[in-house]
Amino acid sequence: MNRAILRISLACLAMFVLLLLNINYVQAFETNKLAGEPGNIRIFDQQFTYQRGSIVATGDGSDLVIAKSVLIKGTNTYHRVYPYGPVYAPVTGFDTIYSQTGIEATENNLLAGTDPRLAIHNLTSLLTGKQKQGATVAVTISPRAQEAAYNALVNDGGHQAAVVAMNPRTGAILAMASYPSFNPNELTTFDGTQLNDTYNKLVRDPSQPLLNRAVTPNFPPGSSFKIVTSSAAFSTGLLANTSTTVAAPQPLRLPNGNFLNNDGDIPCANGNPPVIEAFYLSCNTAFAKLGIKLTAPVLRDYANKFGMNQTLDIPFQVEPGLFPEDSGWTDPSLTAFSAIGQFDDEVSPLQEAMFAAAIENGGTLMKPYLVQQVLTPSLSVIQSTAPTAFSHPVTPEVASDVSQMMYEVTHNPAGTAYQTAGPPATSIQIYGKTGTAESGLTPQESPDDAVFSCFVPGANPIAVGVIVKGGGFGADAAAPIAVKVIEAYLGHS
Amino acid sequence: MTAASFSDQPVPMPRARRRTELAMLVFALAVVLLAYAAASLGLSGKLSGLSVYILVYALMMIGAHLAVRRFAPFADPLLLPLAALLNGLGIVMIYRLQESGRNGNPGTVVTDMSTSATMLQVLWTAVGVIALVAVLVLIREARILQRYTYTLGAVALVLLAIPALIGTSVNGAKVWITFGSFSIEPGEFARLALAVFFAGYLVAKRDVLALAGRRVLGIDLPRARDLGPVLIAWGASLLILIFETDIGTSALFFGLFVAMLYIATQRKSWLLIGLGLFLAGTWLTALTFHHVMSRFTAWLHPFSGSNPTGISYQPVQGLEGMAFGGIFGTGLGQGQPYHTPLVQSDFIFTAFGEELGLVGVMALLLIFGLLVQRGLRAALAVKDPFSKLLAAGLSFVLALQVFVIVGGVSFLIPLTGVTTPFLSEGGSSLVASWILIALLIRVSNSARQPAPQPIQDEGMTQVVRAA
Repeated sequence: MNRAILRISLACLAMFVLLLLNINYVQAFETNKLAGEPGNIRIFDQQFTYQRGSIVATGDGSDLVIAKSVLIKGTNTYHRVYPYGPVYAPVTGFDTIYSQTGIEATENNLLAGTDPRLAIHNLTSLLTGKQKQGATVAVTISPRAQEAAYNALVNDGGHQAAVVAMNPRTGAILAMASYPSFNPNELTTFDGTQLNDTYNKLVRDPSQPLLNRAVTPNFPPGSSFKIVTSSAAFSTGLLANTSTTVAAPQPLRLPNGNFLNNDGDIPCANGNPPVIEAFYLSCNTAFAKLGIKLTAPVLRDYANKFGMNQTLDIPFQVEPGLFPEDSGWTDPSLTAFSAIGQFDDEVSPLQEAMFAAAIENGGTLMKPYLVQQVLTPSLSVIQSTAPTAFSHPVTPEVASDVSQMMYEVTHNPAGTAYQTAGPPATSIQIYGKTGTAESGLTPQESPDDAVFSCFVPGANPIAVGVIVKGGGFGADAAAPIAVKVIEAYLGHS
Repeated sequence: MTAASFSDQPVPMPRARRRTELAMLVFALAVVLLAYAAASLGLSGKLSGLSVYILVYALMMIGAHLAVRRFAPFADPLLLPLAALLNGLGIVMIYRLQESGRNGNPGTVVTDMSTSATMLQVLWTAVGVIALVAVLVLIREARILQRYTYTLGAVALVLLAIPALIGTSVNGAKVWITFGSFSIEPGEFARLALAVFFAGYLVAKRDVLALAGRRVLGIDLPRARDLGPVLIAWGASLLILIFETDIGTSALFFGLFVAMLYIATQRKSWLLIGLGLFLAGTWLTALTFHHVMSRFTAWLHPFSGSNPTGISYQPVQGLEGMAFGGIFGTGLGQGQPYHTPLVQSDFIFTAFGEELGLVGVMALLLIFGLLVQRGLRAALAVKDPFSKLLAAGLSFVLALQVFVIVGGVSFLIPLTGVTTPFLSEGGSSLVASWILIALLIRVSNSARQPAPQPIQDEGMTQVVRAA
């Protein structure tokens, strides 16, 4: 019988070899595929069993933790906490058990510790028996500017509004606030049903708290677009310098026979003022005429250079402004409206900040960014952002001309923002441009949107864009918010 | 250092090797102790008071070793340490699963586990060790069992039939009988009784069964009238399948019979006939019985449609657990095996895969493989045909059981519910496994013990010692 037993032994050996091969297949080769199966509970649960990295705001030179994971007492489960709730929500986004938004989403692999760049660190932790931990993401946000921005929006009478502030020399975003905001702490529950209820309530809320207005092109730029129009006019030689006179009739008869008026149908100075005066008085007809002469493609080309129609990863993907090629957009009569920001163009506060930033920085637009550094739990830097130029919309000479005009807006007693952002309001020298975007309805039905785009030059430069939906006159509603942000940032509050 | 023999059989090793066994046993117990410490630290970061169970366990194993020393001094020195290692690791895993979500430990509670599961498993181990000692004391030579061939055959039939008549259905399979809160799985013991019955029956009838009938395609088919026994075994296994809806027991039972028939007769045709009958029977029942068919569906399409949350839920959880463990595992107490339903019984191997990783389960499989190999080695070495057939059959059915359950949970073959020997929670399987080891120890003792004093008449068998 021994021969048969030897054969049976071989059969046993074969069974064990098959088992060994199969578990090798499952546990060494199929792991990634199985980890990716929808509904893999272990992968899902794992994310809460170690500490997700923090998000810290470092724009003031010190670290302020704006998102962190804390151990729930008596468990090995971590819970996400946002110490300042809605204030930083447009930056952090949220981290629910199912999905993320904002920095939580774009830096998820780093925060979760699964990024390949953390592999060596994770291996060291494994070998030294330390708990696995995610990387810390340092954002460029200045807590002073951010809190001033959010408080200013909250105290603005309940308008939907948003602010973006950035360093014009680097592109570092210093503040990004949106109102109404949401409290990301409400979305960190482990209870899926409760999470769905809260989330659906936020989605259905007509005031759209989840919308990050700071980076969503949802508003017409209004007169602030005159920064682009005049930049194009200086660059193309249509205007020699700021004292070149421009025709500013009231009203302006358009090629299609319609009329275009100044705000309040007020004549613009003597009807033929230097461009600088037309700028600080914000005469529509002067810039509409310039727009017709420039033609729509040229205007759009400059808008593109200022960042409109461009997709940016800041790191979440945004389109700061839109200048669409709608039907008939090259019609001079419509181009006239485009030139004063009243046709189909739409911008976000980020775009408004970018207009001002490019002018402050001598015509070079720096790429806006939020993530300054990513650090491993042992504090070695694994990613650091070096400022990069995004585009060169204008020459330094043109930038200087435009900034001269923006200076007059706030410093000439007749300037549109003299009272609200000029010497009567603040000791800081702010350069700005107001915008009041008509929604096409009467002010009673729907008040105008207030826009303000401004910068402060000098050793500690800042560019700010503010939009207040239905805020009315730009200088009155939007400019004071920008002033508060700038004062807080520069420590003048 | 040379031992000369005039026999053409392998020279029996004169050394009893009990010290080797003790050393290996101490090593196995050290592994179990460290595994327990790792699990306890992995769970709560401190050593739990349940360490006393491990100490009791160690004492029991030392007791088993002393029994082997006394009653089977020439037994294979690896059988007991290997079994002790598996049983100990099983206790550690059951402790780890029982503690999950309880006493402030992380995870969720394995709701179908009692808070005294570890204690019960240690108690059942004690029963198993007592059974081992009892077998060694009562059965001084395996061939004594040959006298009880038909008695044990009848016992096996009764044990197999009981659950169908008065059994409780658990997860689709009717293999348990319950007395109050206490339940046993008679099929586990039936398998052992059947192995004895088959060995006795086949040793008696093998000459007839080996007679060649017609020759087809180069294979000698048996005579048609000799097909009776294999058809009866097949019919019985189908009855188990149909009335107890238990594919696992049915497959082990039939596999055991066919393998032993082959060993007894050395006719390959029996293997082919057996395999053919098994496949046909399984196919027919799969077509007829939804319970059997759904196992195939769950195996072939685990991730399609609603399967992952439906019929494949348990196997998918097990598979994802193993994959989650990867190569090195999460470490004992640090994975999430509690997500797999019934992880403590049929799926305990996936819990090891998750927490010990590929390296850990490869080691486990090698331990099982070594156990099987030691059993087959005893079968090869022993002279008595009954003991030979019994040891080979028991070793093969152990290998087959590991193949069926590990292959099932790792998706190599369709899942059938059988326990993982020594590892799964549950007394019947554990005690039956210890009895199996006791029988192998007994056979290996017969194989290795020095020949009795030379008898004058046999001339050639004088043993010459040259030490």
